[in-house]
Amino acid sequence: MVLLRVAQGDERAMEQSITKFGPLVWSIAKRHVQDHSALEDIVQETFTDLWKSAKRYNPAIATESTFVGLLARRRAIDFARKESRRPQFESLPDADSLPHASTESSAALLCESKDVRAALKELPEETQRIFSLHFDEGMTHPEIVEKTGLPLGTVKTRLRRGLIDLRNKFRRLDSGQSPSNP
Amino acid sequence: MKNQDTSDRFEELEAGRILGDLVPSEVQDWKMLSANPSNQADLSLELAAAALDAEFLANEDTVLPEELLKKLHNGISEFVKAEPENAVIVRPARWQGLLASSKAAWSIAALFAVLFVAKSFVEKNSVDPESLMATAPEKASSSEARKTLISKAGDLIQSEFGGTENYNQMSGTVVWSDALQEGYMSLTNLPANDPGAKQYQLWIVDPGRDEKPVDGGVFDISANDGTAIIPIRNPLMVTNPQAFVITLEQSGGVVVSKQEIVVALAKTS
Repeated sequence: MVLLRVAQGDERAMEQSITKFGPLVWSIAKRHVQDHSALEDIVQETFTDLWKSAKRYNPAIATESTFVGLLARRRAIDFARKESRRPQFESLPDADSLPHASTESSAALLCESKDVRAALKELPEETQRIFSLHFDEGMTHPEIVEKTGLPLGTVKTRLRRGLIDLRNKFRRLDSGQSPSNP
Repeated sequence: MKNQDTSDRFEELEAGRILGDLVPSEVQDWKMLSANPSNQADLSLELAAAALDAEFLANEDTVLPEELLKKLHNGISEFVKAEPENAVIVRPARWQGLLASSKAAWSIAALFAVLFVAKSFVEKNSVDPESLMATAPEKASSSEARKTLISKAGDLIQSEFGGTENYNQMSGTVVWSDALQEGYMSLTNLPANDPGAKQYQLWIVDPGRDEKPVDGGVFDISANDGTAIIPIRNPLMVTNPQAFVITLEQSGGVVVSKQEIVVALAKTS
């Protein structure tokens, strides 16, 4: 568990984290931001967040990749939101909010790769396709609209409700049930 | 709106917030609903989105730009500085100013006592940039970390080093785990180097990744090292190493080795 060693201030573990998670952080940032120097800033800021907040990582709540992915998403989405001059909106919680939230067992989502795939297969086919276009191929909402011919509102709703549905399936998997059980 | 409807609406808006697709009117709704204590979001939706990202993006054949990698590795000392400091460090400018003042002699004596404590603190806590480039051999922590790796890695690769003609007195082993991206060399009888002139450099041959070997870090051997434990410092992901090669290079190492002085080789297959 490299993050547990980062939490203890092990600089060597930090180097390993950069090697291990750097490509994931870069890929996530690239999904939301095009500007190269901004991308680099986001990656560096994410690893600064990781160094500061690794002590809040709880292996009983999420996998290491999920935890690092969460930090990268926050940085990238916040940056994209500011850049697009969308209405001023509170940032997603910063790393300081993690100790409180991550110790709540209700937030636990310790799903492994096979569980994620299994849960995805339980979604309605149309939602699966939209998820694949968004999360796998990195398409924006308008690109999905163009590709599928679905109205923008439908795409947004499918993604939002699909995410809630998946979260519920992950929870069932964590508790040892089948993802499709109510 | 009924309580359940309100809760469902808040959850949908929270999902939109995490996906980054709320429109202005929805932002207002989210703010209004989030003011209600019963609508407190936990991290679970955000973790679900992060788990999807990790699933779809972690296995991509993505490589960080080399310049950025260098910045990140060199910047580790900055991360360390970000930690809250729990002691006062007396900086030179401050103590020089104090020495120049006309305060009583006892304050100077007290100052030296503080400096002694501060110096110990600085030496203990500061990160020497050089230490990130060249590993001090035989650190107790490296030795312990190697033992831990050997005991816990399920995919451990272990191979013996063989020295080339001028280095045939040396011996050693390399242990490596793909899953943990961690490895160590244990080297005996490798001649001491002058770090200002030449440094040893490790190369990892991973043809599945690239035909060029991956830099595994530069390191030094001093005269009384005995058996040195050297951690492998790979800035790039290594997935199926076929060989580990030690060369002797100019101080600071090189980006591409001409392999003029090959010191030792360990094949894994």
